Amino acid sequence: MSRTIKHTLSSILATLLLSGCATATQNIDMNNHKQTPAVMGLDYRDFQNVAQDMIQSLVNSGAINKQDGGRYVLVISRITNDTMQHIDTDQLVKKIRVALLRSGKVVITTAVGVNGAEDNMAMQTRRDLRGNAEFNQATVAAKGQMIAPDLSLSGKIIQRNITIDSSTQQVEYYFQMSLTDINTGLAFWEDEKVIGKLGSNDSVAW
Amino acid sequence: MKYFFVSVFIGMLLSGCNTTPKPKDPIVKVIDSCSNNYLVINDIKGRIKDNGFMQAQVIGENLTNGYFKVKYKIVWLDENGFAIDSILSNYTTTPAYPNQPFYINLTSPNTKAKSFRFYLKKEGKTICQEQSNTL
Repeated sequence: MSRTIKHTLSSILATLLLSGCATATQNIDMNNHKQTPAVMGLDYRDFQNVAQDMIQSLVNSGAINKQDGGRYVLVISRITNDTMQHIDTDQLVKKIRVALLRSGKVVITTAVGVNGAEDNMAMQTRRDLRGNAEFNQATVAAKGQMIAPDLSLSGKIIQRNITIDSSTQQVEYYFQMSLTDINTGLAFWEDEKVIGKLGSNDSVAW
Repeated sequence: MKYFFVSVFIGMLLSGCNTTPKPKDPIVKVIDSCSNNYLVINDIKGRIKDNGFMQAQVIGENLTNGYFKVKYKIVWLDENGFAIDSILSNYTTTPAYPNQPFYINLTSPNTKAKSFRFYLKKEGKTICQEQSNTL
């Protein structure tokens, strides 16, 4: 009997201890960078800083100013992730395309992309509804209405790990972007931003 | 004739009352310069470029013998004084080398910007004092 009570108490104590060690879940303020420690990998701060720098560089360059005052049509090309981390490059690209759209100088096409149309439904709807007797054909998108892109935005993210000593490593991330004029094949704008991090060798940067 | 002059006088008085109030906040605000002996703003410029974008240039100087980073952000305002929401209004950094000026050159996110407010601080300090200037 006493052994049963002892086991029960031990189990309760162990549970309490374990639950006490667990990190409590909390929401973080994405604008207060002091709230979360820096990490060796890429996090939201890095993407925000790089996007901000790239957009500023792009609007400073004047590359998105069309001579006749109109707007360029931009297609998002391949953004290669050449790092050891699993990155969805849209984390970077989305910020850039939102800012470009808001600039009033660029519109983004979702009808064309590296892997076909970015918005499949838009394309599929056009094809499926055209000639379909159930739909008023006057409201169906006609052929030859889509606008071809003028510019293409491409890029690459590169990672380089350097061992400083037995306990320290330096990780460098290179963000490279190019804006190419599709008509001529000339790059209107290019830039590179580098983020460097120094930390323990125990931290794994992937 | 008397009525005419009285009308003109009243009109002038009323139009004088109708002017847009000047903003209380300065164009450039240096945050955390407690003693203000390590960081100074030498020049501020703003212009509307041919393409309609506004450009701002702030020239500061690191008065110390040490290197530090300067954090800054710019808030772009439209013609009615409303802030334009943009990723370009987040804090960013630039190096300030010892005893050398640093140049910050920024372009507005769109052509609606007609004015700006610029905030500058040494990285990792608290709010202490402000410095004003005009365009």
